[in-house]
Amino acid sequence: MADYKRAKWAEWADHIRPLDDPAKNFEKPEALDDLVVLDVSSRSMAGCFCSSLLAELGAETIRVEPPGGDFVRTYAPHGLMKDGTGLAYLQEGRNKYHVTLNLEKKEGRDMLMALAGQADILIETYPTGVMEKWKLGYEDLAKANPRLIYCSITSFGQFGPESKRQQFDYDNIGQARSGVQYGTGEVLPEGKTYEEMPHAVPTKAGPWIAWSVSGTFGAMGILAAVHYREVTGEGQHIDVATPEAYERLHDYALHWYYDQKVLNERFGSLDTALWLYGFFPTKDGGVFLGGLRLEMWKAFVDIIGKYDEWKAEEWTTLGPFTKKDWQLRYQAMIDAETSKYTSEELAQKAVEYAKSGRLAPITTVIAPIVSPWDAMHDKNWIDRGMFTPVKDPVYGEVVCAQAQWKATETPPRTKWVCRPVGYDNGYVYLKYFGYGPKKLKELEKKKII
Amino acid sequence: MSKAFKGYVKNKYSRPAPLKGIRVLEVCTLLFGPAGPALLAELGAEVIKIELPPAGDVTRSLTPFGWFYKEQGPMFMHINPSKYYMALDLHKEEAQKIFHELAAKSDIIEFNMRPAVVKRWNIDYETIRKINPGIIYIEKNGFGQWGQYAEEDRPSNDGAAQALSGYAWTSSFPGQPPLKQGIWICDVFGAMMGEVAVLAALHHRRKTGKGQYIEMSQSENIMRAMGWVWPYQQMTGKGAEPAGNRDLCICPADTFLTKDDLFCAVAAPAPDEFKGLCTAMGQPALAADKRFKDHATRLQDANALALLKIIADWARTKTAGEIEKLGLKHGFAAQRVQSGRDMNEDPHRRERDFVKMIDDPLYGYYPEHDFPVMMSKSPPKNNWTVRPVGFDNDFILTKILGRSEAQIAEYYEKGLIGKWKDMQGRRPPPDWDKTSGAILRR
Repeated sequence: MADYKRAKWAEWADHIRPLDDPAKNFEKPEALDDLVVLDVSSRSMAGCFCSSLLAELGAETIRVEPPGGDFVRTYAPHGLMKDGTGLAYLQEGRNKYHVTLNLEKKEGRDMLMALAGQADILIETYPTGVMEKWKLGYEDLAKANPRLIYCSITSFGQFGPESKRQQFDYDNIGQARSGVQYGTGEVLPEGKTYEEMPHAVPTKAGPWIAWSVSGTFGAMGILAAVHYREVTGEGQHIDVATPEAYERLHDYALHWYYDQKVLNERFGSLDTALWLYGFFPTKDGGVFLGGLRLEMWKAFVDIIGKYDEWKAEEWTTLGPFTKKDWQLRYQAMIDAETSKYTSEELAQKAVEYAKSGRLAPITTVIAPIVSPWDAMHDKNWIDRGMFTPVKDPVYGEVVCAQAQWKATETPPRTKWVCRPVGYDNGYVYLKYFGYGPKKLKELEKKKII
Repeated sequence: MSKAFKGYVKNKYSRPAPLKGIRVLEVCTLLFGPAGPALLAELGAEVIKIELPPAGDVTRSLTPFGWFYKEQGPMFMHINPSKYYMALDLHKEEAQKIFHELAAKSDIIEFNMRPAVVKRWNIDYETIRKINPGIIYIEKNGFGQWGQYAEEDRPSNDGAAQALSGYAWTSSFPGQPPLKQGIWICDVFGAMMGEVAVLAALHHRRKTGKGQYIEMSQSENIMRAMGWVWPYQQMTGKGAEPAGNRDLCICPADTFLTKDDLFCAVAAPAPDEFKGLCTAMGQPALAADKRFKDHATRLQDANALALLKIIADWARTKTAGEIEKLGLKHGFAAQRVQSGRDMNEDPHRRERDFVKMIDDPLYGYYPEHDFPVMMSKSPPKNNWTVRPVGFDNDFILTKILGRSEAQIAEYYEKGLIGKWKDMQGRRPPPDWDKTSGAILRR
């Protein structure tokens, strides 16, 4: 029995859960188990994230690294590694077979060409032109396999004046160029300098979000190309630039500057376009407050006991509240009130208000701002399969975020988190080339694998 | 340059977009819901956005600091391009029947209501799959369809998801309060992730004929993008902490204040890149310094902080432009923090047609982003912007369901379909000539 009060519609929850609970994922078919993917990405988690999404959906994904491993394996928080692999890669090596291949050598390139002849999808992240120089560009591989879908993820794209830039694609570069970082961060108060307040600067998101976004757009493009290929038989070349992918998620900044010459400046943890919408301090941390309709904002004012004093009854429109000066004025007034409570007290007040407040069932969205530690230990997410540890045959039990969506038929699933460098040379080269121990030894000797 | 993209922009309109022939119904408001189908629209699907008449999507009212573009909410415009607009009062049984008829002829249906609202409207998955067993049906909301938070009926939105996932916590400077992003990242990233789910389901349907039900939560999708945080916490027994603009896994990678009071991101972790940066700084010996000798050593906190301080001091003596040029010359990544002005003025974005001019019969000529995935054989395209509530009612009902003018008039009479409220964001722009953009009858 649930130890919380369930909504009236809980019958639907009871109906759908048995059908899409991630606990049953392995009883279900896999959407992409007819596809073979080669991930040749280098130094970039965007490529790895992209191939992870396909691998989670069942594609046979072969991760091709240089002998010694891709540099991406050294990405490690504070330098922390597990058995020689950075903790970051223990997330994005998932479900992939790991082989080594030396593309600096002709024989290595020939082997990749042959693999591509048997594959459906190839993902690469070298600076534009590097693969062409090796005769492994889209045109070269498409000659052998016209059905190949070839996805390039770079900082500056496959064409355009800056595409010649020979720089690898990094997440913080993508965030900087997207315009999002420009508009995110604390405001530098007038009269203060950056030296005095080094945190009041354009601030990037902590996670590799630019990489995740370009990797996800890459996966979307690849799956759309798979659809197109089923119709026409044609493969194609896909071009994703990480900064552009992330910039596409930036809403009106482009249009605002064009029409009003206004730049989307930093606005702390308030929102340029929304009210009530922001982070506010509490006794023990902070909460998010959200009330995008007038009644929800009024409900909040009632929750903190200021309905009469602030004359909420007289408000007829939310419009003026989104103005910058109003936002800042009310922010200060709200700060003083929310600081009297703990985050949990406020969250509970919102739930209570929905039952018995003067505007009930209308209430305000109040959510505690939690650390990732608390998120990982939150029973709700654990119950929903988000942090089910993966029992990896090599690395043991590893917690990773999974089950990012639930589905009745072909949900994503994680089978293993990573493989050591070259761990699957034997399996993959036997399967695709008939190469056994004798041939592999030769290739090792010649430093091809 | 790849030959596959020779003349790409010039020839973009001589090839179809990849999802040609796919039809999508959406009943979504705000951002998390509608952002996904917009991506499918740009990929070439026919997307019919169904709103409740006469007010429609709440986002029509949302605007930065009070700025409306031709009376329309700019967020709404960016989130909802290239769709058809229908207003159907799903509270009414006959309207639900119309929805069923449309569902029978669709491939994908998307919702972002609270759980079980669709059941009240008789358009829930179990009802629709009986009409169309191949349907791919996705619901997006705060907490999914089951579990404590969902079943307690907790409301949610993007900011709540940033708070509850730990995303905001990891995105501020050490010792500072958690920072909300300047964009609605959990909404838009979740919307993207939802379309990956939908497109994979489409592939499965092609092979098996089977549709499916998908649920996506605002917080869960973004946790998937937080990567190393989870095994780090598991293996160290410690919570992950914020680090400002410093990348805790890549060193050096940070944003630096420059001589001209701008900000420049630099990344130079690989041996060749790091050597290049040290040379550019005029301190080639640093590359051999035992604190910085290889990536794993540099990543240790004391070493990382020492190195980033050296780079910060140097960066303050150079303009952002100079650092970008040195990056090109010495082979490390360097990029000035760009703004809405750069989006407008940068020739690279324009030549790639990533930033393009929309030429819309209702909303005129203004810049917008095109789809950020260029596809050599099947280019995606963003061609028009939003419409007033119910603007394409007649077109959809006639084109797809063959309804006559008289029948449509009857539907208006009964309030099954409706048009816009006389209100900013709902009605046509003030300079509209009463015919432009109307498809069926002018």
